[in-house]
Amino acid sequence: MPNRCLQIAVRVMTRRHLDVILCSALILASVLILTLDGLALGGVETQLGSMLMPRVVATLIILFSLMIGLPSLRGLLQDRPLLPTEVIETEGLDGVMIYIVIFTAYWWALPILGFLVATPAVIFAVAVLLGGRSWLPMLSMSLITPTVIFYGCRELIRVYLPEWSF
Amino acid sequence: MFSNIFQGFVTVLSVGPLLGIMLGVCVGIVFGAIPGISAIMAIAIILPLTFYVDPIVGITMLLAVYKAGIYGGSISAILINTPGAAASFLTSLDGHALARSGKAGKALCMALYASVTGEMLATLVLIFVAAPISLISLQAGPIEKVWLLVFAFTVVGSMTGESVPRGLLSCCLGMMFAMVGMSSLTGAVRLTFGIPDLMSGFTFLPVLIGVLVMPEVIDAVRRRKTPHQDLVLKVSDQPADNRVSLREYRSVLGTIIKSSGIGTVVGALPGLGSSAAAFLAYGEAKRSSKAPEEFGKGSLHGIAAAESSNNAVCGSSMIPMLTLSIPGDDVTALLMGAFLIHGITPGPTIFYEHTDVIYAIFAGFLLVDLFLLVIARFGFPLWMRVASVPPYFIFPCVTVFAVVGAFTANQSLTDVMILMVFTLLGYGMRLVGLNPAAFIIGFILMPLLEQNLDQAVSIVGGDYLRMLSSPIGWIFIGLSVLSVVSAIRSNRRGRRRMAAFAAAE
Repeated sequence: MPNRCLQIAVRVMTRRHLDVILCSALILASVLILTLDGLALGGVETQLGSMLMPRVVATLIILFSLMIGLPSLRGLLQDRPLLPTEVIETEGLDGVMIYIVIFTAYWWALPILGFLVATPAVIFAVAVLLGGRSWLPMLSMSLITPTVIFYGCRELIRVYLPEWSF
Repeated sequence: MFSNIFQGFVTVLSVGPLLGIMLGVCVGIVFGAIPGISAIMAIAIILPLTFYVDPIVGITMLLAVYKAGIYGGSISAILINTPGAAASFLTSLDGHALARSGKAGKALCMALYASVTGEMLATLVLIFVAAPISLISLQAGPIEKVWLLVFAFTVVGSMTGESVPRGLLSCCLGMMFAMVGMSSLTGAVRLTFGIPDLMSGFTFLPVLIGVLVMPEVIDAVRRRKTPHQDLVLKVSDQPADNRVSLREYRSVLGTIIKSSGIGTVVGALPGLGSSAAAFLAYGEAKRSSKAPEEFGKGSLHGIAAAESSNNAVCGSSMIPMLTLSIPGDDVTALLMGAFLIHGITPGPTIFYEHTDVIYAIFAGFLLVDLFLLVIARFGFPLWMRVASVPPYFIFPCVTVFAVVGAFTANQSLTDVMILMVFTLLGYGMRLVGLNPAAFIIGFILMPLLEQNLDQAVSIVGGDYLRMLSSPIGWIFIGLSVLSVVSAIRSNRRGRRRMAAFAAAE
């Protein structure tokens, strides 16, 4: 069901929609950079000032966003036929969402469960997501790889990966 | 210069650098040969490991991965008609045609010999041209450097993007993200929006891995239902079909030299890359061939042209980076990051401040070609087997290596979060046609622009028109305008072609 909803949502969405949304967000952020005071705190006074370059770049971002967003908006309003590059492929996006969820959970779990516990679960989950069904080799890889990385980092390059915090 | 090169060979001919080169070549071939994994992914994953070794070992290892990765792309292109790298697309036309007729061994050998010859020629150009160019660029002061950097931004932005505004927007976004955190010039904390973790800015490595590597993993997840094809090398009963004879090599040597020249020139220009070099060289080889009808149907000249030109780019793309501090594409941007992490700032002074390191790296560059020749030639069956590992064994490990790589930069989980954010950003950029390479180049070059602009403004005082008084500056302004105008014209032509194609459909 979520897969179906995602596909319907993305079928409606084209590159033109994304362009308009992205460019609006970038223009808004750039206007904030141009108008807000207090975006640079402290520092010494120089001829250029700390905010000159961010404001120059923000102006350029507005300019280029308009150059991208306006033709896309015009295309949407006039309902022009889509070019091949403006179609967004929907196939497989459900897997992308699951991957992002796994990745976020991994980041959240790392300081709590530690590298040696969280990583095998992530390796196994991503392998299953990618269509792996060779359970024994996948299980071995999930257990051996994190162990080698954990002790390799600790002993060879003195990088201490997160450990179980309970 | 020759004594420096000799000294470079003495330095690099020791256990550490040689092991680094061997490891780099093996990793590069394997990663390059796996469709969907590029050399850049291999370099980004190996990069954190190089922090803990000598710069000569670390950088030669990365260069070995780069060169072997570009060659490795031809293996899957020839055997299963799926280029491991975009630059190998043309190799697949002739190489796979030969493989279908039972001459896969001949096609692989030709690709290898052409790659190595092209790389060697370009490396020699790099060695003999880089130092003299750096002498000229040493004359440039901060004002000229500002215009040079403006030229770099415009040429990279306008050449690499799907369209000129998209390329330039990608570059500007990279520049904006580079300014977050404490300014190295004024000490002011900028654009952090009150988030203390951003005070030190975005760490380079998580940004790099997030924007360039992780979207490839996401792409693999998206294409997970595409059937996996094993690489199989069918050995012919006829020994002549499994190798390239000296006579055959001599017959294509002219094509190799000409294509290497094209690759070297294209590689030295920022923003074009190895795919453009391969297309130009292939077109020229076909145009000047006595049998153009054989191209695309198993021509050895076709393989030689495509492979020698795309590999020649590896050497010459280092020229603008080492002499002018301008990385021309994503791989050289990444290598420039590696140089900076090792405390070596690429630019004209590198030949005087780090003479021993730079010439050892040059010597390493040449040795990589020899190692690639031997390791690839005698290990074909092994590389086939390793590169046939299904994606569900590779990409979970790549995910973990990326997280570990991001973590090792500061041993902080904030960097893992930055990796996550930039992974989404990088994938989103691809969806809307923004260019990750232009983003990374903007991110790397912005601090240099700010530093040089600050110095230039100090020199001119309040008389800002003096910024336009330098003839060299005007040359770069002219080149910037030219690059944007020519990119707009070529994009317009491309759009017209696409619209005509869509109308015909």
